[in-house]
Amino acid sequence: MIALQVENLCVKADNRHLIENITFSVEDGKIIAIIGPNGAGKTTLIKAILGLVPYETGKVSLFGRPFRNSHSDLKVGYVPQRLEFDRTIPLTVSELLGFTLPPVYTIPFLKRKGTREHIDGLLNVVGAQALAQRSIGSLSGGELQRVMIAKAIVNDPKILFLDEPASGVDIEGQERFHDLIKRLNREKGLTVILISHDLNVVYRYSDKVLCMNRKLICTGSPEETLTDEVIKSMYGEMMGAYIHSCHDHD
Amino acid sequence: MTMISEFISYPFIQRALLASVMIGILCPFVGNFVVLRRMSFYSDAVSHSAFAGIAVGALLGIDLSVSSIVVAVLVAVIIAFLSEKTGLAHDTVIGIAFSGTIAAGMLVMGMLKGYRADLFTFLFGDILAITEKDLLLIFIISILTVIILLTFLKPFLQITFNRDLARVEGISVRFFEYLLFLIIAVVITVSLKIIGMILVTSLLIVPAASAKNLASSMKRLFVYSCIFGIVSGVMGLAVSIYLDTSSGPTIVLVSVGIFFLTMLKRAG
Repeated sequence: MIALQVENLCVKADNRHLIENITFSVEDGKIIAIIGPNGAGKTTLIKAILGLVPYETGKVSLFGRPFRNSHSDLKVGYVPQRLEFDRTIPLTVSELLGFTLPPVYTIPFLKRKGTREHIDGLLNVVGAQALAQRSIGSLSGGELQRVMIAKAIVNDPKILFLDEPASGVDIEGQERFHDLIKRLNREKGLTVILISHDLNVVYRYSDKVLCMNRKLICTGSPEETLTDEVIKSMYGEMMGAYIHSCHDHD
Repeated sequence: MTMISEFISYPFIQRALLASVMIGILCPFVGNFVVLRRMSFYSDAVSHSAFAGIAVGALLGIDLSVSSIVVAVLVAVIIAFLSEKTGLAHDTVIGIAFSGTIAAGMLVMGMLKGYRADLFTFLFGDILAITEKDLLLIFIISILTVIILLTFLKPFLQITFNRDLARVEGISVRFFEYLLFLIIAVVITVSLKIIGMILVTSLLIVPAASAKNLASSMKRLFVYSCIFGIVSGVMGLAVSIYLDTSSGPTIVLVSVGIFFLTMLKRAG
């Protein structure tokens, strides 16, 4: 089954194309990595798919249905590249996850049966069980990313959008984070759309890669798609050498 | 003790006490969103726009509470609409609305004939002049506001945390933002008679800011802010009666005192 279908997507700003005629699809239960140089329009692409920026032309459908902002039943999880929020907000991790849980229109501070267990179980999955009562603003980059993953999967979504989710996290944290995504993909059958600059991550974790620089350059399995020419055309000569080291590691 | 019970036996003191408790809960409850979403300037603009509403009401001979609510709500909608549609910075739009409504209010005030003491009640507030009708209005608005905010607290807090995440999770950000703008406008205007146009914003912001100094969770933020609001209202009223000072400024000064105490606790 096709989880995500994007057809001829164009986003313009100030009469300039930010992304142009992007067409691709993602099968259910697969991990697709989106790569491209800075300013290639990767974040714009994800935001356009999610309805956070308007698109000029094109069509986006999730599991065969047109995607609209307010379709909460489609169950989409999203971890943005830079999460902007007031760090002084007195909000605990447990409260944040609780606010995301259904039912939406209810008094949130009332104790509901099973909520606590659900949140604890979720934090356990992402290795953040000790953070439940911590203030969200006091978390380190790695801790926050784990909590944001927990928030993204709290409603058992079918598809996860991750925009450079491990940026700002130390190397060990990045490794743990990507292993977690892979585990969720395997155990829960999550479809994952992942933006990454790290070609090692692309090789190790993704089933499919989409290379873009405002337009779609190529798409396919990492091994077949990421040729020297493609990498050089996107990142320049230096990355051509890097690609060999990625291959060698695998 | 005899003096206190004697004072409490006066109906106007009873009404003032009830009003201070209701406003002490209502303003900080809504004020938490004003503080968390950094909307202090917006609430100032709305309270000052009520000045134009009061002036128009006096000119047309209609109820000043009604005219101030209508104009404040109208200004709230215009601010929300222009911010969304023009792409101008939010504070720019608010600044334009702020100065525009003050100018309109002054212009209309100039057209009024004779001295109007009732207008000064809205400017500086007088909790001791609260009528039963005012009390009923405050009660209805308080109940409605608390019900709406509690029912929609999850989406409001999700939007407060991060608008994009809220939108992806299926929350109609636009609807709830307009709703919050309207609630703030209504709460400000019903509080005008108690605290006055000039100081009303402080009752929204100061107890909420004090609570934020101490609270480690959202639940505590709401509980603390309402406690600080009630204490400010009741203690401010008592002090103003005892010292024979203006009630509005005294209530605000008590809340500011609580704020500095919470700052000490936070620093400690």
